[in-house]
Amino acid sequence: MRPHIEPFCDRDEGFKHLRLPNFASGMHYKMLSFDGDTGACSMTVQFDGGYRRTPGFAWTEMEMIIIEGEMQVGEKTCRKGHYLFVPAGYAMPEMTSPKGCLALVMYNTGEPSHEESTQHHPLAQVDLYHDVDSYMDIPWAMGNVTKPSVAAGCLIKLLNFNPMSQAMTFLYCMTPGFYQDNISYHDCAEEGYHLWGTSWMMQFGDVPTGGYFWRPAYINHGAFASEYGCIALGRTDSKLFNHFHYNPWSTPVQNADRSAARIYQRDPLLYKWAFSEDHNHPHGPEDFEQTMLRRGDEEGHDTEHKSDGHTHDHWHGHHHHADGSEHQHHHHDGDSTHTHDHD
Amino acid sequence: MSFKDLFIEHDVPPEVQEWIKGEVEAQEARYSKIEKEMIDLAATREKWYQEFFDRITTLGYNTDGDDKMTINPADLPVKPEGCVDQVVWKYGVDGEESPDAQK
Repeated sequence: MRPHIEPFCDRDEGFKHLRLPNFASGMHYKMLSFDGDTGACSMTVQFDGGYRRTPGFAWTEMEMIIIEGEMQVGEKTCRKGHYLFVPAGYAMPEMTSPKGCLALVMYNTGEPSHEESTQHHPLAQVDLYHDVDSYMDIPWAMGNVTKPSVAAGCLIKLLNFNPMSQAMTFLYCMTPGFYQDNISYHDCAEEGYHLWGTSWMMQFGDVPTGGYFWRPAYINHGAFASEYGCIALGRTDSKLFNHFHYNPWSTPVQNADRSAARIYQRDPLLYKWAFSEDHNHPHGPEDFEQTMLRRGDEEGHDTEHKSDGHTHDHWHGHHHHADGSEHQHHHHDGDSTHTHDHD
Repeated sequence: MSFKDLFIEHDVPPEVQEWIKGEVEAQEARYSKIEKEMIDLAATREKWYQEFFDRITTLGYNTDGDDKMTINPADLPVKPEGCVDQVVWKYGVDGEESPDAQK
């Protein structure tokens, strides 16, 4: 678990040389937040000019955005604002930076790792890989991805979305003169890194360029303001919902209780089901879509046979056809095929 | 915190385990420094709270987007007796004693 790191500014820290197995030299980091249980972490990373990393994959999901300079990833040149989402086990091509670059690098589920390989790991979910020039190729959208919403003047660009947990990675900006007079907390952890500019929060004061926070769920933050504007990368680890209020002295436990109370008020039947003694176990209620038996490739469950709605052939013990029609089917006690008429 | 997906089991070499241990210690120091800074900011923050109360009772409180509601001063919260203003909570609701629990 990562502790609450807020506020923190990487400009106040010096770089350390990253010396881990299989990583090329010329990689320096400032640790922003760290999960001592798994090694997952977020770091500002300086790649020296001439940096070169062999093709390979990490054991963990990884995200990266270029802050300054350029990184060559295979044939692609990634410039300032380029974002990459790399699933665990996804073999990246050679990465080089002839003139060096600064990046925000996030290892989500395990410690930083690099296994030299030109092949994806068999368990890699390769279809999830994506990268984009977030500055040039995505327009800003209103920040009202959830309701109740942030005030106008807080805009976002969605970079990654997990359909299961609804975790998000996004750029957000505050326009000059932005302010929002409420206190917020969420049911999810939230992370932010200021790529440029300064914002202010009532609990923590100014968050400048290089400013960072890792905030566990249910912790108050806000009111909010930004005099000259800012642009930042944000992430949540599950669904983002804004619980607004105006009590600066409420505690995380009180906030969490309020969230539960809101479920009780809004979805009393769901609350009763989820929190009743019989169903309240550590793994949470079962989602049958994730656990039910599925046909898969089980022999006999063919999917090639099509039906016109009147006639079809299939493996189980009945068949349909028009009266008087002639049809064929296979018997399971051999490979014989025969034709017969119906009464 | 976990993104709940996308992890492949593997052996963690001893030197990496040492690195993890060192980063945990460094983070403890980082957290302690932040905690102290936020305690030192308490007096300034009290002033910010009062300014916030002034704004939401005159200009309004953002209920949703730019929708605002003016809060009746009588509805403003009262600071609980003996409450120490705390804004940094090491693990949030997990493993953290709230001021209520400390009473």
